[in-house]
Amino acid sequence: MIELAEAKPKVGQKYVDAMRAQFGGKILEESWQAAEQVTLMVELNSLPDVVEFVYYRLGGWLSTVVGSDERPINGHFAIYYVLSVEGDETETEKAYVVIRALIPPHQPEFPAVASRVPAAVWYEREVRDMFGIQPVGMVDKRRLVLPDDWPPELHPLRKDAMDYRFRPTPTREEENYEFIQVEGEGVVEVPLGPLHMTSDEPGHFRLYMDGEHIVDADYRLFYVHRGMEKLAESRMTYDQITFLTDRICGICGYAHSVAYSTSIERALGIEVPARAQYIRTILLEVERLHSHLLNLGLACHFVGFDTGFMQFFRVREKTMKMAELLTGARKTYGMNLIGGIRKDILKEERTQVLQWIAELRGEVTRLVDILLNTPNIVQRTAGIGRLEPNVARDYSPVGPNLRGSGFHRDIRVIHPYCAYDRVPWTTISKTGCDVLSRTLIRAEEFFVSLDMVAQCLETIPEGPILTEGFAYKPYSFALGYVEAPRGEDIHWSMLGDNQKIYRWKCRASSYNNWPALRYMLRGNTFSDAPLIVASIDPCYSCTERVTVVDIRKKSVKTVAYKELERYCVERKDSPLK
Amino acid sequence: MVTDYKRRDTLMGETQYAIHMDDQTAALKGALLHDIRRSIFVYRVDCGGCNGCEIEIFAAITPIFDAERFGIKVVSSPRHADILLYTGSMTRSMRVPALRAYHAAPDPKVCVAYGACGSSGGIFHDLYCVWGGADQVIPIDAYIPGCPPTPPATIFGFAMALGILSQKLKATHHVEGEDERVQPRHPELPLDLRVDVERESRRMAGYWHGQQIADSFLNLLKAPASDIERNIQNFLAQKDDSRLTEIFGRLSEIYLMRKA
Repeated sequence: MIELAEAKPKVGQKYVDAMRAQFGGKILEESWQAAEQVTLMVELNSLPDVVEFVYYRLGGWLSTVVGSDERPINGHFAIYYVLSVEGDETETEKAYVVIRALIPPHQPEFPAVASRVPAAVWYEREVRDMFGIQPVGMVDKRRLVLPDDWPPELHPLRKDAMDYRFRPTPTREEENYEFIQVEGEGVVEVPLGPLHMTSDEPGHFRLYMDGEHIVDADYRLFYVHRGMEKLAESRMTYDQITFLTDRICGICGYAHSVAYSTSIERALGIEVPARAQYIRTILLEVERLHSHLLNLGLACHFVGFDTGFMQFFRVREKTMKMAELLTGARKTYGMNLIGGIRKDILKEERTQVLQWIAELRGEVTRLVDILLNTPNIVQRTAGIGRLEPNVARDYSPVGPNLRGSGFHRDIRVIHPYCAYDRVPWTTISKTGCDVLSRTLIRAEEFFVSLDMVAQCLETIPEGPILTEGFAYKPYSFALGYVEAPRGEDIHWSMLGDNQKIYRWKCRASSYNNWPALRYMLRGNTFSDAPLIVASIDPCYSCTERVTVVDIRKKSVKTVAYKELERYCVERKDSPLK
Repeated sequence: MVTDYKRRDTLMGETQYAIHMDDQTAALKGALLHDIRRSIFVYRVDCGGCNGCEIEIFAAITPIFDAERFGIKVVSSPRHADILLYTGSMTRSMRVPALRAYHAAPDPKVCVAYGACGSSGGIFHDLYCVWGGADQVIPIDAYIPGCPPTPPATIFGFAMALGILSQKLKATHHVEGEDERVQPRHPELPLDLRVDVERESRRMAGYWHGQQIADSFLNLLKAPASDIERNIQNFLAQKDDSRLTEIFGRLSEIYLMRKA
């Protein structure tokens, strides 16, 4: 089956040629994992130059950065910069280019790319935490992933560091994360979190205010870091990880599961049967349906339109029933195996889902109509939380967040997977750059997804749903990618020699969206903060308490999240006064 | 499967017939309306979950399942809460905030572990940044299992927690007297025998049934030695349960071994 993959023409050869012309001998090795995936090994010191060239000159977007401890294989640490190279607007040839560099173990350092390509900031901080490899020239010296009281010399993902069950004794009861210092007259510091009201992950925000206006923002996330990547390497088999990936995110878990499975399938050259591809597509879109309705409901809530919130959640139950009928579970579907899926769709289920789709189309059309004709929705969201196109270009955000800023970028089109190149559909993008655009994109994508589920159900091909009887090849690796409701989820997997994965790096869509949030918050008013945070749909507004630092009054004040939420909804009696 | 859904559909909104309440529902409603007589405020603490649980709690409080019709309301501060709902496995970073939320809530409070991760740590139970389930840090009164629990399971779990809350509201405290001793069961039989019989019985039949079976077996042993075998035979003949006979056979072996 490997031969099949190699027989296809190599997509993206011209990018490799352009890089060779620019850097010549600094490119040491070239290997193709699939028709549109190439890994190039470069000299360590040329890393920032090469990544910058691919990012800004060849139209690359940073998808993920993978650190890996390959000392048992080749005696070095390795770092992989994964870029989706897309050229300019008119370009049709799009490929994943992976830049790899080896780092000597006696001097675990690499030149930081983040100063040239800001999108790499979080990734390089994470690599430092998890492997103890220093990005030289990285300005931000703070931790990203590991807890504040984690021992400084212990790097969990190093192969020789520790057992995956090892829990260092806690040393401190208090968090001591250093937030950025914003200087200036009248800046008010507002910490939010880590516990919060709306839902989702804990996260700690700090807003720097001048009166009612946000000057800057900083956040500490990763309160829920559990160590999944270590778990996958140590305790799980390939097929078990598909169920672990279901539990990465409670909303788009299936997208992760598909991304992981396809990464292994691609690394081994396994052809997944067409019927399984269609069923995966259907389930991915069903997941998008409920996720987008959830976000639309929250958008209503944050502009003070709670009737809409309740209505969207009422309608959303139909999509949950759809998932339950098709998979047996409302949330964690548990449907994927390496090579295919576990459960077929029969006629009875198909008929029922098609009927629900027709009902949903009518109900959601009415609701969206009501939402857009509610006077304060446009007033509250237009021009708010702007993600400027140049900031977006620098930070590689993904999903509706990016498409709201005029970029026509959807992984389902750029790098088609599953059955997305076999059914007709359109991508949605807007140029408003604001909360309104992002909300409208979700509303329109909902209907596109409805059509797509119906299309797939009607045209689903016959045949098996699972490929079996393949062998796992040690140390082969590849990427898997899925456009989840919030944007591109990307998984990089390298197989091991003991029926366990050697290195698995998963990157969820919100990871790319968070760093740009700071720029979206700047200049907006305090009462819009929850609205803006919710608009990137980050596994959302992680905002319980807000410490307000007022630049002019030199005062620090803590505001309960409820108070902030109330203020966002009612917009009167500011808690800052 | 599909017919099931149709049935549920009618239950979910377009009900066209009168609903008859069964005894259990009536008792639950009675407890809510008469014993507790106020709304129950729930505060959620996410200690490291994947959001799946949070979303299902959302589903449980929004129109289709509508837990608020029972007066169960999700609030945004632990200071208002009667029930603390811990979701997600307890991560290293969240253990202190989780405890802080616990201390912030007024007494009497009920702590509920929600979902597989909240109950036991789930798939993440032994990881380096995880302390297992919420019960490793917080005293938990009720567990709602599932990954994630469905909205009906959520409401059922709340109802269980409410039962505990009413117990806490009416709590009395027993002060032990000077020469007060707890009497073990079957004091006339040797301790070793009692322990072995109970352990084996529970191993075979589970915790609850095991206790019942061990009790009835030990009761039969109290007769004069000559009657024991006949009594057991009579007892088993009367019950006519092959599984019980099998378990009693094992218990008799233990009894004979101990006697010899």
